[in-house]
Amino acid sequence: MTAAGIVTGALIGCALLVWVIDLIRRDRLYAGYGVIFVFGTMAALTVLIVPPLRRAVVSATVALLPVPSLSLVALVILTFLMVYVFVQISVLSNRVMRLTQELAIRSPQPQDGIEPVSGQPTERFSC
Amino acid sequence: MSTATRHRTLVAIPAYNEAATIRAVVERVRAHLPDCDLLVVNDGSLDATGRVLRGTGATVIAHLCNLGYGRAIQTAVLYAERAGYDRLVTLDADGQHDPAQVGALLAEFDSGRWDLLIGSRYVVGRRYTGVPLGRRMGMRLFSSMVGLMTGHRIYDTTSGLKVIGRQTFTPLTKWQFIDFHAEALVYLMRLGYRIGEYPITVADRLHGTTMYSALSHVKYPLKTALMVVLGVVEANLARRRAS
Repeated sequence: MTAAGIVTGALIGCALLVWVIDLIRRDRLYAGYGVIFVFGTMAALTVLIVPPLRRAVVSATVALLPVPSLSLVALVILTFLMVYVFVQISVLSNRVMRLTQELAIRSPQPQDGIEPVSGQPTERFSC
Repeated sequence: MSTATRHRTLVAIPAYNEAATIRAVVERVRAHLPDCDLLVVNDGSLDATGRVLRGTGATVIAHLCNLGYGRAIQTAVLYAERAGYDRLVTLDADGQHDPAQVGALLAEFDSGRWDLLIGSRYVVGRRYTGVPLGRRMGMRLFSSMVGLMTGHRIYDTTSGLKVIGRQTFTPLTKWQFIDFHAEALVYLMRLGYRIGEYPITVADRLHGTTMYSALSHVKYPLKTALMVVLGVVEANLARRRAS
């Protein structure tokens, strides 16, 4: 692997890492999905930066699955697309979650005819 | 006049498939904390949890599907915030926490030194005895992580028994948390809230299983560690936005 290739790979990895972390922070990507991308990208970056690891992975890959270098571009695009899909799932999941919470709060069921707590919610909850 | 009536206090119990224990827990809470309102958050239970609560006098709010422990707690916080409660006490539904100890926790909370008080199993001995090795390592890791990020070590980051003051309701509903453990504590402490621990004892679980599966033993520490770091970032950004 050339030095230019390593630098490009490291830059793409860092960009992906920053993007994913920001998405998790803004609650756009569920932490359970995000953690896979974060630690996966960190592992890939480690392999890329540490020469013995890189050599081992490259030789194993070439021996087991000889693929053209261009397929790496497809892999990068696929990874970014996967993040995008998971963001859409997380956004939808967040809306369902907030709706579920809102429905629960708006319909408390006092058992034994005990009066519901005072100050029942009146404000709208934005999803 | 008791402390619970001077301050409006809500005791919230998140429950998921706890039909075997929830009724007894509710009855013990009502016996020991008669001045507090009681809320059970039925987190989409598939067993008879909802049915066994009939006739207990508790207010039950039900999630239509299972959202997880963190979201059940967040629902309770939202409810307490909107209903104007001053304090929220959270208890586990498996019967491990003794409601008789909550009075002492509330008395300590009323000293005004804390915004959130944790019922802690380890604050006295500072040793995680009687805990499986994997869990003990996790507890040490997160306790140290909280100490590193905030400068104040919390020994029991996973305790389900907490007294949450009204002032922390809003931040707890504004950001996402996994289980309201280390990530929530770090977030609040970095926002400037005071979090303390008060010694309690915990009984063994009599029914059911822990909410952590084999896979979650790998995923939980990674998720929580990530959220702890993000909690620091988010708290710093929130403080900057506020100023």
